[in-house]
Amino acid sequence: MNRRKKASLMSTEFFLAVFLLVILVFMRIAAKEFYSKNNFMSLLNTYSYTLIASIGMEMIILTSNIDVSTGALISVVCLLLAAIGKLGAPFAVLLPVAMAAGAFLSFLNGLLITKLKIPAIVATLATTQIFQGSLNMVSEGSIYDLPASYTWLAFKAKLPGGIPASVLICLICTVFGLIFMKYSRFSRKIYAIGNNKTSARLTGINVEKTILATYAFAGVFFGISAVIIGTAGQRVTTTMGSGLEMTFIAAVVLGGTSSAGGSGTLLGTVFGAFILSMISPAINYLGISSNWSDAIKGAVILISVLVSAARNIKKKRVIPSVSGGGVS
Amino acid sequence: MKKRTLKWLCAAVLGATALIGAASAAMADDVTIAMLPKFKGENYFDACKGGAQEAAEELGITLLYDGPSQDQATNQKQVDILEGWIAQGVDAICVSPNDPTAIAPTLQKAQAMGIKVITFDADAQEDSRDLFINQITADAAAAGLLNAAAQDLKAKGYSNDNPANIALVSSSGTDANQMAWEKAIDVLLATDEYSFMVIKNRDTDVIYPGTDETKVNSECATMIGRMGEGEDKIQAAIGLSSMATPALGAQYESAAEKPDVEKTALTGLATPNALKTYIKDETNPLNSGVLWSCADLGYLAIQGAYQMVTGDITSESTSIEAGRLGEKVIENKECILGDALIFNAENVDEFDY
Amino acid sequence: MKKKTFRMTFNLALFLIWIVIFLFIGLRSPYFFKPAYLISTMLRNIVEIGMVALPMTMIILTGGIDLSVGNILVLSCMLGGMSAAATGSSVVGILVIALVGLLCGFINGIVITKAKIPPMITTLSTMYLYLGIARGISQGNSVYSFPAAAWMGNTIIGSYTDPVQLPVQILFYLVLAVVFVIAVQKSSFGRKLFAIGLNENAVRYCGIDTDRIKIIVYTVSGLVCALASIIWLGRFTSVKYDAGTSFNLKVITIVVLGGTSINGGVGDMKGTLLATLIIATLNSGLTVMNIPIDAQTIIQGVVLLISLIAFSIASQRARSRKVIKVVSQEKG
Repeated sequence: MNRRKKASLMSTEFFLAVFLLVILVFMRIAAKEFYSKNNFMSLLNTYSYTLIASIGMEMIILTSNIDVSTGALISVVCLLLAAIGKLGAPFAVLLPVAMAAGAFLSFLNGLLITKLKIPAIVATLATTQIFQGSLNMVSEGSIYDLPASYTWLAFKAKLPGGIPASVLICLICTVFGLIFMKYSRFSRKIYAIGNNKTSARLTGINVEKTILATYAFAGVFFGISAVIIGTAGQRVTTTMGSGLEMTFIAAVVLGGTSSAGGSGTLLGTVFGAFILSMISPAINYLGISSNWSDAIKGAVILISVLVSAARNIKKKRVIPSVSGGGVS
Repeated sequence: MKKRTLKWLCAAVLGATALIGAASAAMADDVTIAMLPKFKGENYFDACKGGAQEAAEELGITLLYDGPSQDQATNQKQVDILEGWIAQGVDAICVSPNDPTAIAPTLQKAQAMGIKVITFDADAQEDSRDLFINQITADAAAAGLLNAAAQDLKAKGYSNDNPANIALVSSSGTDANQMAWEKAIDVLLATDEYSFMVIKNRDTDVIYPGTDETKVNSECATMIGRMGEGEDKIQAAIGLSSMATPALGAQYESAAEKPDVEKTALTGLATPNALKTYIKDETNPLNSGVLWSCADLGYLAIQGAYQMVTGDITSESTSIEAGRLGEKVIENKECILGDALIFNAENVDEFDY
Repeated sequence: MKKKTFRMTFNLALFLIWIVIFLFIGLRSPYFFKPAYLISTMLRNIVEIGMVALPMTMIILTGGIDLSVGNILVLSCMLGGMSAAATGSSVVGILVIALVGLLCGFINGIVITKAKIPPMITTLSTMYLYLGIARGISQGNSVYSFPAAAWMGNTIIGSYTDPVQLPVQILFYLVLAVVFVIAVQKSSFGRKLFAIGLNENAVRYCGIDTDRIKIIVYTVSGLVCALASIIWLGRFTSVKYDAGTSFNLKVITIVVLGGTSINGGVGDMKGTLLATLIIATLNSGLTVMNIPIDAQTIIQGVVLLISLIAFSIASQRARSRKVIKVVSQEKG
C-alpha cells in the first residue's frame, strides 16, 4: 500500500505538476503583469489548440507510430475552412467539416502505414510534402476579408469572465480524452500495440484496423485544433500550421510518453502542453528577448526527459533493455 | 529475376508520369523576364504579380513568376530558383531578396552571364544589382507609419505632457526593409514632432515574431495584453510587416479584456484588404493602415527590367518613362515609386488588393 | 547470399529511376544538359545535404535518427563566423566550427547512450536547443562569411565562361563519399553498425561496446555537419538562425529514398549516393523546367512514396522467404 502510494508520487505527471506550479508561482513574484486577464486568456487559447492536437498525437505515439505531417494537415484544413467560411458558413458547419477533413487526411497516413507497411515517420514525411505542395497549387495566395460568421469563435464567443470559448472546446476534448484513454477498450488496444505489436496480434487484436482507427481518430482532434487556429483572424494563408507538429510531439514527450510507444498518460501531456505554451509569453514578461524562447524550450524538454530517465534507471536495477526499433 | 526488374521499371515509369503531368510549355523567343518574390501565397506579393502581369502584357514579353512558400522563405530556395533561371538565360531577373547578402553571389553570377538584375521591394547588396525599384524611402515609410500612429494618439489625448509608449512588431530581424525603417523611426522619434512617443525597452517592445502564422498571432496577443493606459503599459503598437498588422487587429478582437479603444492605437503596414474589417469597426483601435500600391510596384519593376534589356535605360540613366505611371526619377541606381499611402475608414473601399 | 542480390536490385532500380528522370528532364529542357548547369549548379547545390546524408545513413543503420543536423550546421557556422569576425582569423573560425560541430554531435551521442533516451526525443530537444542558442546568440541577425569559408564555398576550378568548371566542394564530397562507403560496406566497424540496427542486445552480449560505437557515429555526424557548414557559409556568404529548419527532413528523405530502413539494420551507402543524385536532379531539373516550387514539393513526395512502396514490397517478399527474419522485423 505504502509502496504503491510512493510510486504514484514519483510519477512523471507529479513532477511536471510541481514544475508547472513552481513556474507559475515564480511568474507571480517576478512579473505580476503575466496574470493580466488578457495575457492569461490568450495563453489559454494557445494552450487549447496545442493540447487538443497533442491528444491526437499522444494516441498515435502510444501505438509506437508518429505523425510529422500534422502541421501541413492543419494548414490544409484551415484553408478548406476559409474557403467555405468565405461563403458564410457558420461555426456549426465549420467544426464538423474540420473534424471530417482532419480524420480523412490522417486516415490516408494510416493507410500508407498499415496497408503499405511504410514506417510512420517516413510515410508522414512524404505526405507532408504532398499536403504542403498541393495546398499552394490549389490556392495560390491566401483568403482574405472573411466574414464575421467565420471569426465568431475567436472574436465573439466568450464564456463568462471573458474566457475564450476555445477553452471550453479544449476542456470537453480533454475530459473525453482522459476518460477514453483510461476506461475504453480501444485505448487498451492502443497500449497493447505500443508495447508489443506481435503479442497484441497474438491475443487477437486486429493491429492494422486499430492503427487505422487511431490515425482517423487523431485526425478528428487535429481538425478541431485547426478550427481554433484557422478562425483566429480574417485572413488565412497557406502556412497556418507549419512547424506545429514539432510542438505537439514535444508536448507529448515532455508529458512523459515514451516515443517507443506503449507507456505514458494523457495527464502528462496536459501538463506538458501547458509548459510549452507558456514559455514564449513568460519570457516576454520577464523582459528577456524573444530570441531566447527556442533555446529555453529545448532546455526544458531536454532537462525533463533527463530527469525522468534518471529516475527510471534508478528504479530498474535490472539490465537496461535497449529498445530495438528506436524510432518507430 | 527478370520479372522483378520489370516491376522496378514500372515504378520508374510511374515516377516519370508524375513529371509529365507537371511539365510546362516551352519558352518563346522574345524577351523573358523572371520575377522572384520573397515568398508566395500572401496577397502583398500577389498584388505585385498582378501589376507585373499587366506590364508584361502591355510589353508583349514572357513573364516567369515563382518563389518559395511562406514557411520556407529561405535564401537556399531563392538561390535554387535563380540558378534555374540563369541556366535558361532569361533576359532579366526581378528579385525581392530575403537576405541582402546571401543571394548576392548568385546575382553577380547572373550579371556575369549578361542578365540584368533588378531588385524590387527589398534591396540586395549594391554591387549585385543594376537597378533597385524602391517602393518608398525608409524616411518616408517611417514618417508615414509614425504619422498614422501620431494622428490617432493625438486624437486620443496624448501629447508632450502626456507621452505614449509605443511598440514595434517587426518581421524576422534580417529584412533590409524593416531594419532601415526601424532606424528611420528612431531618428524621427527624436524630433520634436514625434517625441511624445517613446520606445521604452528595445528588448521587449520591438519584437521579431518571424513569419510563422501561429507565432505571429500569439506574440501579437501577448503585445495586446500589455496594452492599456498607464506608464508601464503600451499605448500604441505599430506593425512593420503585412503579417503583423492584421494579426494585431485580430488579436485585439479576440482579447478577453479589450484595452480601452479610446486610449490605445494600432496601425502598421498591410494591404487594405487585410485590414478592411478592423478599420471599419469602430470598436477596434486599428483605424488606419499604411502602404504603397503593390500593383504599381510590380508594374514599375517589369517596366524597368524591360527597358534595361532593350537598352532604353542604363545604370547611368536619371529617369525612366514607365508606361502608365509616367516619368520616375532614378538616382544612384535607385528608382523610387512614391510616398506612403495612408488609408482609413473613408478610403479603404477604394482599394482591392 | 540471397540478401545481397536483393540489395543489388534495389540500387539498380534507383539507378534506373534516376536515368529515367535525368533523360526525361534533359529531353524536355534544352538548358539542362549543359555541363555548366549539371556540375556547377546541380551538384554544387546538393553538396551540403549530400554530405550530411552520409553519416545520417550510419545513424539510421544503427536504428537511430538525428533531427538536429540542420541546426548543428547553422549553430557551428554561426559561432565560427562570429569568432572569425571577432578575431579576424580564419583559422580560429574553422577551429570553432569544427569544435562546435563535434561537441553538438557528442552531446547527442552521450544523451542517447548514457541516459538511454530514444534518439528521436534526444535530437528533437537538442534541435530546439541548438536552434535556440543560434537564435539567441545572433539575436536574429545574419552572421557573415570569412575568407577560408568563402574559399570552400566559392572556389571554382575554371571560370564562368569555361565549358567545364568544377566547384572545389564537389571534390570534398567525393572524398568523403568514398571514405564512408568503405567504412560502412567494407570495414568491421560498418558490420557492427548493421548488427546494432538488427539486434543491439545481441551485439552487446557479444562483448562489443555498442555505446561507444553509437557515440562515435553521432560525433562523426556532428563533425560532418561542421564541414558542410563551412561550405554552406561560404556559398551563401551569410547565414541566419532559421536556415537549417527544412534541412533535417531533406537529409532523412535522401537516406530513406536510398533504401536504408528507418528501423535500422538494413541499408546501403551506395543507395544513399544514388538517392542524393536523384534528389539533386529533381531539384535542379524541375527548376530549370519552370515547374513551380509547390509542384516540385509534390513530385518529391510522390517519388519518395513510390520508393518506399517498392522497398516495402521487396522486403515483404524477402520476409516471407525467411521465416526467422519475421521475428526480428516485428520487434521494430
